[in-house]
Amino acid sequence: MLPMIVRFKVKEPGRRGFGLWFPAIVIWILLAALMLVLLPFLLLAALVTWGRGPGPRLLLIYPLVGSVLWNLRGLTIDVDQKDHVLLIDFI
Amino acid sequence: MNEERRKILDMLAQGKITVEEAEKLLAAVGETGPGSGATAATDASGRRSWKYLRIQVEPGPASEDGDRVNIRVPFKLIRAGLKFAAFIPREAHDRVNKAFKEKGMDVDLARITPQDLEEIVSNLDDMTVEVDGKDKVRIFCE
Repeated sequence: MLPMIVRFKVKEPGRRGFGLWFPAIVIWILLAALMLVLLPFLLLAALVTWGRGPGPRLLLIYPLVGSVLWNLRGLTIDVDQKDHVLLIDFI
Repeated sequence: MNEERRKILDMLAQGKITVEEAEKLLAAVGETGPGSGATAATDASGRRSWKYLRIQVEPGPASEDGDRVNIRVPFKLIRAGLKFAAFIPREAHDRVNKAFKEKGMDVDLARITPQDLEEIVSNLDDMTVEVDGKDKVRIFCE
């Protein structure tokens, strides 16, 4: 399932850190719109390079990107250094 | 060897517990130790299927900076990501193979099939890496 919330936390030395609970649906909507716009170009590139290039593989990009995004839920990256803090959590 | 097992063996060595008690404790730890958390399910073949690959770095006693790293990667994401290997251009294979060779691994990227990658990922659950140095590093499945 697609992650619905992305939690960010960033802190750098000398700067005020910030934490953010971001509704990921906004990203997915924008990304879907972008992918829709790029689809004709991708199909054209696949057609042009079908015989002698990465044509058939280009058609796999959308399903693969979808599969990666679909499985992002649960990914957590939490780095807590002396002065730096970085947290990215897909919920 | 994980910390719990070491503690049990230390207690046995110090005579605080009997051999039978140590056996029971080791069996209990074996069932609930790292890499066998509550998130693991059992598949049809009776093999545990883990949900996440965890990488933890915690400061050891001699650590000066106290850095902590906690990364949790869903196995499904690893599997999905590996499919992108098909997009590595043939021209890059030689460079990747050369880099592998420099690290002492004689690997031919062109010969690695998606089935091989799947096999590697499905066998990651047997892996637990614990490094006790300045920092304590643990890589395990849960």
